Amino acid sequence: MRFFSFVAKNVLRRPVRSLLTGLGIAVAITAVVALLGVSDGFEKTQLSLLTARDVDLIVVGAGLSTMDTARLDESILDQLQDDPKIGAKIARITPLLMDKVKLQSSPIPIVLRGYPGDSAALANMQVQPGGKTLNSSEKDGVLLGSILARNLGKKVGETVEIELKKFTVAGIYNGSSPFEDSGAIALLPTLQKLMARPGQVSEFDIVLKKGLVANASAMTAIREAVKNLKGPKGDLYHLDAVTTEEYVSNSNEIKLSKAMAWMTSAIALVIGAVGMLNTMIMSVLERTQEIGILRAIGWRKSRIMRMILGETFVLSLAGALLGIVAAVVLTKLLAALPAAQGLVQPNISPTVIGTGLVMALVVGLVGGAYPAIRGASLPPTEALRYE
Amino acid sequence: MSESANGHASSALVRVDHVGRTYPDGGVTALVDVSLEINKGEYVAIMGPSGSGKSTLLNLLGTLDRPTSGEIYFDGQPMSKMRDLDAFRSQKIGFVFQSFYLLPTLTAVENVQIPMFERPLSGRARIQRADELLKRVGMSHRSSHLPMQLSVGERQRVAIARALANEPPMLLADEPTGNLDSKSGASVLDLFDQLHRQRGMTLIVITHSLEVAERAERIVWIRDGQLSEQPASTAQLREHL
Repeated sequence: MRFFSFVAKNVLRRPVRSLLTGLGIAVAITAVVALLGVSDGFEKTQLSLLTARDVDLIVVGAGLSTMDTARLDESILDQLQDDPKIGAKIARITPLLMDKVKLQSSPIPIVLRGYPGDSAALANMQVQPGGKTLNSSEKDGVLLGSILARNLGKKVGETVEIELKKFTVAGIYNGSSPFEDSGAIALLPTLQKLMARPGQVSEFDIVLKKGLVANASAMTAIREAVKNLKGPKGDLYHLDAVTTEEYVSNSNEIKLSKAMAWMTSAIALVIGAVGMLNTMIMSVLERTQEIGILRAIGWRKSRIMRMILGETFVLSLAGALLGIVAAVVLTKLLAALPAAQGLVQPNISPTVIGTGLVMALVVGLVGGAYPAIRGASLPPTEALRYE
Repeated sequence: MSESANGHASSALVRVDHVGRTYPDGGVTALVDVSLEINKGEYVAIMGPSGSGKSTLLNLLGTLDRPTSGEIYFDGQPMSKMRDLDAFRSQKIGFVFQSFYLLPTLTAVENVQIPMFERPLSGRARIQRADELLKRVGMSHRSSHLPMQLSVGERQRVAIARALANEPPMLLADEPTGNLDSKSGASVLDLFDQLHRQRGMTLIVITHSLEVAERAERIVWIRDGQLSEQPASTAQLREHL
């Protein structure tokens, strides 16, 4: 019999104990991988909402980057277009107002975006067959994201109540992210009136003329010009022109998402680690007498450690693989439930899987090593008395 | 003949020199100033009532425990100076316990191989040697059985085969028939006789059974942690046990 065979037999011939230990590890790893996957997916969904927009620069109020607090005067649009350092370099500029609104039929607020009726953003919207995009005359029209339409069970032509006002569904669009598809779009004046934000927008989305994005000095000049833009009375507007990447990194929503993802992951790791440590320590502690027998017949501490760690490695690996598979299945099932509303698409990436695997092996080996060291260090006479 | 640490020429395999063992936690003195010699190839029974200190003495002889005073010499070498007690136990001592202490997940032939992991043997060589040992103790027909599938007498035979795995010169047995019926017990004692006579093995058996002790060449009496005289009468013997 080889040493590895001995280790394998110890695991395989105690099926109940091995199964329970493996399940204990698997449960911990399922929790860790699933939570990491959900938080990772949530963060990615948030990021995709902002990064998928086809714009080169976003003009926002400096320091104000949440959709609730971002309030710019709509008239700034004309000044941006008229400014010789800015206007001449713009291919397209679109004012955008975003706000969180309540639907009568859903307790969860959604993001309603408002674009001018003649904007390219509306003209280029990917609307599903049977519907159409909004034009300037459709003050009571709304476009629903595909996920929102599915969750509400609404079709084109039906009505939906937003902030106590009835809208007619003009079309259902396919956006660039699940988050976008969970929102809705109305005309800018309609949203301004609905949310009592007359003349206000959240930002101006700018597409620059060809070649300018790659020209660093031109970009710097445009951004400086935006920063220095003054109102009719000569006061600075305190604007900032940021790239989508900068917008994302400064966004309070993204910062919140990242913080939430980090905390969820940290809690998952701690809970998983404690659960695994408990499982491994109990599993090895009950073998103290066996360790005493092996010490009595001349086994060195190092060989006992190798035996325990070998068994722990096998159990941790098996538990981790089982836990990862369970996490993938579990998150897919949960994400498909109506309660999730398609808002979060869990992302069990190779990094998340690797984290679960490494954690299982490291925590498993640490959890196995402690009682093994303790057992191997006990005088054999004491270990033999252990029941 | 071997040269002891203090220069005395001796044929003793084991020399216990004024050994004491105190357990400070409970304030218990298990052995007091015990001196004893056991020669190579000798078959010795250590007898005494429960709590007399005989198991403590066996644990000290087997290096499972350390004396708090005195010294034990093995083949002239002081045990307290031995650097590698694990290797000493593995190569020089075979243990037979009252409760057998076989590993429940391993078959008889696998249990016998356990001590051999401390020697540079191939997997095949271990199996071959374990088969030979099981044959020697009359257990080759049960080699693939797990301990729970064996009778208590068979388990003790497997435990004896395991004790012989590395061909140690000395066998220490702690109440080896304590959990056995009389027939199985006699069979185990026959095996000890055989090991002693045919292989010249040194046997030290702890027992409180006179029947077991009488198989030995010499009986060492112990009472209240000290060596004592052989009881002169049946009444004294009864009191002694």
